[in-house]
Amino acid sequence: MSASFLRMAFLVSLGLCALGLLWRVSAWLRVRIGPDARDIPFHQRLLAAVRGTLATLVSRRTPGVLKAFVLDVFLQRRLFGGSRLRWLGHLLIVNGFLLLLVMHALARLVTAKLYPDYASTHDPWLFLRNVFGAVVVVGIVMVVAGRLRRPPSPPRPQRPMDRVFTALVAVVLLSGFLLEATKVASPKAFYRMANEYIGSTDPEELLPLRLAWATDFGVAFPDLQGAPDPDKLAEGRELHHDACASCHSPPGSSAFVSYPISRVLAPIAEPLDGIDADTWLMYLHLAACFLGLILLPFTRFIHVLADPVSLLANGAASAGPLSPVGRANRRALAIDACVDCRLCDDRCSVAPIARSLGNPALLPSHKLLATHAVATNPRWLDRQAGHARRIAEGAVLCTTCGRCTDRCPVGIDLADLWVAGRADLARAGQPSPAQWVRERSALDWDEALAVQTAAQNPVGPLSSRRETYSACVQCQTCTNVCPVVAHGGEEPGGMDLTPQKVMNLLRLGMIDLAIGSGMVWDCATCYQCQEHCPEGIRVTDVMLELRELGYRRLGDTRERRQRE
Amino acid sequence: MKYALFLGCKIPASVPAYELSTRAVLGRLGVTLVDLPFNCCGYPVRSLDREAFVFAAARNLALAGAAGLDVLTPCKCCFGNLRHAQRFLDEDPALRQRVETALAAERLALPAGVTVEHLLPVLARKVGLAAIAAAVTAPRTGLRVVAHYGCHALRPSDVTRFDHPLAPTIFEDLVRVTGATPVEWPRRLDCCGEPVHDANPSLSDRLTQAKVDDARESGAEVLATACPYCQMRFTEFQAAGSAAPLPVLLYPQLLGQALGLAPRTLGLS
Amino acid sequence: MTQTQPKTWDVAVVGAGMAGMAASLFAAERGLSCLQIGNGGGLLFASGLLDLLAVHPVAGRRLWDNPFEALAMLRRDQPDHPLARVDDATMRAAFQSFTTALGAAGMPYAPPGDRNANVLTSLGTAKPTYGVPRTMSAGVGALAGRPPCLLLDFRGLREFSARQIVATIGDRWPGLRMARVEFPGAETTAELYAAHMAVALESGDFRERTIARVRPLLGDAHAVGFPAVLGLARSGAVHAAFEEALGVPVFEIPTMPTSVPGLRLNSALEQAVVTRGVHRMLRANVTSAAFDGTAVLTLDGVPGGETVSARTVVLATGRFTGRGLTAGQQRVTESLLGLPVQQPASRAAWHSRDFLDPAGHAVNRAGLATDDEFRPLESDGRPAWPGLFAVGSILAGQDWMREKCGAGLALGTARLAVDRIARQLGVPGPLAEAG
Repeated sequence: MSASFLRMAFLVSLGLCALGLLWRVSAWLRVRIGPDARDIPFHQRLLAAVRGTLATLVSRRTPGVLKAFVLDVFLQRRLFGGSRLRWLGHLLIVNGFLLLLVMHALARLVTAKLYPDYASTHDPWLFLRNVFGAVVVVGIVMVVAGRLRRPPSPPRPQRPMDRVFTALVAVVLLSGFLLEATKVASPKAFYRMANEYIGSTDPEELLPLRLAWATDFGVAFPDLQGAPDPDKLAEGRELHHDACASCHSPPGSSAFVSYPISRVLAPIAEPLDGIDADTWLMYLHLAACFLGLILLPFTRFIHVLADPVSLLANGAASAGPLSPVGRANRRALAIDACVDCRLCDDRCSVAPIARSLGNPALLPSHKLLATHAVATNPRWLDRQAGHARRIAEGAVLCTTCGRCTDRCPVGIDLADLWVAGRADLARAGQPSPAQWVRERSALDWDEALAVQTAAQNPVGPLSSRRETYSACVQCQTCTNVCPVVAHGGEEPGGMDLTPQKVMNLLRLGMIDLAIGSGMVWDCATCYQCQEHCPEGIRVTDVMLELRELGYRRLGDTRERRQRE
Repeated sequence: MKYALFLGCKIPASVPAYELSTRAVLGRLGVTLVDLPFNCCGYPVRSLDREAFVFAAARNLALAGAAGLDVLTPCKCCFGNLRHAQRFLDEDPALRQRVETALAAERLALPAGVTVEHLLPVLARKVGLAAIAAAVTAPRTGLRVVAHYGCHALRPSDVTRFDHPLAPTIFEDLVRVTGATPVEWPRRLDCCGEPVHDANPSLSDRLTQAKVDDARESGAEVLATACPYCQMRFTEFQAAGSAAPLPVLLYPQLLGQALGLAPRTLGLS
Repeated sequence: MTQTQPKTWDVAVVGAGMAGMAASLFAAERGLSCLQIGNGGGLLFASGLLDLLAVHPVAGRRLWDNPFEALAMLRRDQPDHPLARVDDATMRAAFQSFTTALGAAGMPYAPPGDRNANVLTSLGTAKPTYGVPRTMSAGVGALAGRPPCLLLDFRGLREFSARQIVATIGDRWPGLRMARVEFPGAETTAELYAAHMAVALESGDFRERTIARVRPLLGDAHAVGFPAVLGLARSGAVHAAFEEALGVPVFEIPTMPTSVPGLRLNSALEQAVVTRGVHRMLRANVTSAAFDGTAVLTLDGVPGGETVSARTVVLATGRFTGRGLTAGQQRVTESLLGLPVQQPASRAAWHSRDFLDPAGHAVNRAGLATDDEFRPLESDGRPAWPGLFAVGSILAGQDWMREKCGAGLALGTARLAVDRIARQLGVPGPLAEAG
């Protein structure tokens, strides 16, 4: 492969990556999450971003930003607080990769400029490359172990691009080590070098050097078996010292990862040479690197870029509340900043409710995807057949307690995102049940139920027992003490039912008419009726149970209607 | 005296001053608070799924039980909800069985005798009015205060056992002990409007307006609350209005002032 | 609820109706530690008017102006009637204490005297009664003198029609007029509820807007009658504000139960007993009782179950609606302790053939037979337990609805029983309002 082709491939990949990045980064100014973000034009958001960046760079906030950079970006303080194991793993991966990138991948641009005697096969570079590679592998093992140790959480759909990218990273690491190991053991590589630097490919002529390389460097010459002649070996070592040593360190101790691999490969070194394995591995290694570079912007690994921006923006924002435009940018940025670590799920206040309901849509990591999807794709919710209500449950039941925000290692203001996302969901036809019930009157709901459900669903534990309400003497006390009736009357039409009428409907077995009523859903749950009832009827508890029934029954009906 | 402090979801996120002032006041009065990894009390899901609400509450009770502590919460909705869950567990053996199974999967168990208490009864009956009076160093003499009771702590009285449902005195007693003057107001037991805020904002506004008007008409200088939801409702509602707001204080802030605690430690500027 | 609870209560009152509340109130005023158990709420059906005794004998439907004269007659005619066992002084003291306590709790009464008062009802009839809330007392004079008066009702308040009152009594009250007004802020509302209006009228703004609508209608009226909606917790103040603004006496006309005065009475009585230190366990039920040196009551409706002990017990569980008595297939039984019930010999004798028989029905005189101290008797004629008392409508030999003596029965018997309890426990005579 020619150097110019390589350079061109690299430049093309870099260019594509840059375009991809531009597209993704521009999303931080394009994506609109939350109703307050809806009407902000692009140029305003760009302006706010530029202004924010400038203000961050040159202002009194600079110390705060610097601190954020050191503590949060560089040292990952927030992750440290969340999980030590994952913090260490992450630190190893990031820094191992970064060092490999700078020292190895960009060797010609960086290392060779700084150290004129740079040679990739010479220590310390050979040793360091193995160290950095090993560091990344250890880091990955730690992160994976950390994930496995967590209590099992419901699976979450992953973007396919993420899987491809993860596979590419594995390919890069694996092919890198394999390439090194193959080259170590390869006689063919030896002859290539010998030809270049000594001008000979004659096995007999090169015998002393071959003996030295077989002994000290592990090249697997098939014809050299048994103990070498000490004189020839000494001769070879001398030759090595003159011709090769300036570029090659013995890999036995330096390449502590690839050398052991090369021992495994040694028996098949000849067939590997026969198929030019080292060349193909090189192609594979480079192709994976270039492809990874191109794909990077479209994976969640965009977070390597988004996170520092997010954390720095936090450092800058700590001085005061953000403007609405700034908030819109932050929300869009948040989608890319998420590293899918799911530490938020662990702390989520309603996680036990999610478990009890069997609905993972309540969990922050799931909600983030849904929030993004709803904001960017108006049709997405329609395609979640049968799941729209469960997704809405996630938004409705969030208590905005902010624990996820506190826990997020990259400092995303998740609570703000949920508030915005809830409003977007409402716009997309999934407001809270108390709101959608009002789309129709109690009579309409009753009619719809009568048409669509032949058999009555099982009712709740209170409403199913006659004793619950059979004592009702319709004395109106509940209605008389009800603040909702007292204050609801000022709305056009007033309340559709009063509490005592709801009790009467129960007595008459007309539960379907009650569950869609404004009274049931406007109930302030103040328990005045229950407290005052002379017959001790649990009026408010019944109201709450009717809501639960209504949510299920009317929700089914509504979903069916929406599908039709 | 030692309790597991149940803050719930709203206090840390939206009313941090309540946590600050509660800790400060109870610390001064010799009550030890322990933090446990509690989850949501279950209140938000009560309307949608009874079992999920009871499970969420039961999990908290189990955590407290494992620590051998009773629960103290400053939130009236958490308080009422946790007590309701206890009632449902008591009266529905099948539900109890399912909840116990779900808890067992997390190596947790329903405790036998965990008591859920609200901040006010703990102050009035466990710490005691006399002990508080003895600790008051800067009485709020002359300050006219209306006490807002909050529905979910007061009613239904057979579940909450907070005070006499029609003629409660506990909050006024606690106001009096700070040296302030509790002011009688007809709507003291009414709803603050918060629970219908999402479902019907205009109804919620009318409920809150009636309360605030009544408090003003009764000659109050301060409206005292002991619940984050009520506190948020009164503050946010008045902030949106044009009139100068009637100051709304969380009870431990009022008490903290009387105990001579620094405003900063009470979340007061 | 703030006070500490004793191990053994002086008195445990079972029941939270008028008699139970009265017994708790009187016990607390005596300085006795008192626990009250039982479902409240029955008071919501009360009208706020306190009848002492207005009709005797029932068969003759004889109405009495002076309830104490009626009592004297009753003692002669029916010595086994519970009221026959209550002397005048005890009865006066009972009403005095009770109405004073209600006044302090925001529901003032006209000072009780010697006479029954006739109160105009929402049906247009005159009802004789003894204790009249101050918000209604101006109506008594108006009904007696019949000067030009204005009666008001509100569009949407279905339970009260001034038109019907005028139609019923107008021919005998020439100056009586009616007018209908819109309740402020409810102009588009179809149906109004009295309690909501009462609460609204506690706000100065609503009051002024209502008064502004009434003032132009006054004309020659010497007094103005309203349905009983003038305030809930502050009815005294609301009523006074109306009188001051309108410049004429203002009176409420009691509405059909459940009414605003019932809600007032319910809250005011709770406040009265609570502020006097009574410990209440609402929504709790006594499931069983054992009597030895003390009474040990087992309760349900309390988390985990509970037992309480008391030196004396007052049974104020009411008759059939209060569930103190249970009407079985053949027999009436006492629901809690299985005490013997004095009753007609057979079910056939429970009711008169004529549903509207002026003499009433025998089953309505069923109840517990007691000694002169209101201690229920076993079948052998001895008190069931020395510390067990029964008060109010569970007592045999009375028909309080027809005799119009509900409050008199509740208050008088409760007062006397508490006097006896105090003596039994060695507590010196009445501390307050010595009768």
